[in-house]
Amino acid sequence: MAKKFQITNNIRKFRFFANEMTQQQLAEKVGASRQTIVAIEAGKYSPSLELAFRIAHAFGAKIEEVFSYEEKEY
Amino acid sequence: MSYQEKRTIVSIIIGVLILAAYCIYSYGKYQSGDIAPDDMKTWSGIILVFIAIGVISGIVIQIIFHILLSIGIAIQEKVKNDRCDDKEIAKTIDAEMVTDEMDKLIELKSMRVGFITAGIGFVSALLTQILNYSPAVMLNVMFITFSAGSLLHGLTQIYFYKRGITNG
Repeated sequence: MAKKFQITNNIRKFRFFANEMTQQQLAEKVGASRQTIVAIEAGKYSPSLELAFRIAHAFGAKIEEVFSYEEKEY
Repeated sequence: MSYQEKRTIVSIIIGVLILAAYCIYSYGKYQSGDIAPDDMKTWSGIILVFIAIGVISGIVIQIIFHILLSIGIAIQEKVKNDRCDDKEIAKTIDAEMVTDEMDKLIELKSMRVGFITAGIGFVSALLTQILNYSPAVMLNVMFITFSAGSLLHGLTQIYFYKRGITNG
């Protein structure tokens, strides 16, 4: 069976714990557009390493706490 | 819908209108016998005029679109919060129109689709000469496929914004 890897994230959870930070606020913090944050959160876009670090820094967390690389079976 | 998507849709509409106008105008002229199929000078002149119209109207309509969008955002902000000042409105407009790495990746990937279409058009245009068609056919095939490449570029952008994009 073919195995595929996928980048998943906990941005929604981190936003909730950051006093329900809005996507727009996060976008402004990391210098991206709200559209990009929406796409990342929905798993439609894998951010660059730099943006992933910026997002993790915005929450004061480590990158591996926010993003994970998981194997998915199809 | 994001600013980039709206801007792309406006570009596609302008492109379709210019291409349709060119097809109607040139077909009408050709049917009435005003232009001969081997009259390269006239065909080149018409194509150049339509390229100029496309560039100028594209710039003007994008400026108008930008102004209208800014007004729309300002009105929305005023409705949401009556006491918001100009600085806050300007900040919201800037945030709405920011271009980041995802936009650049989408631009690059969709541009490739546009270039491939234009490349196929160029080869097809050369083939028309091998198959003994008139030079006007070559010019028209080139112009139409280059325009189609530009439209496909826009459509691919919309597709990537809707479906998402990966770095692979």
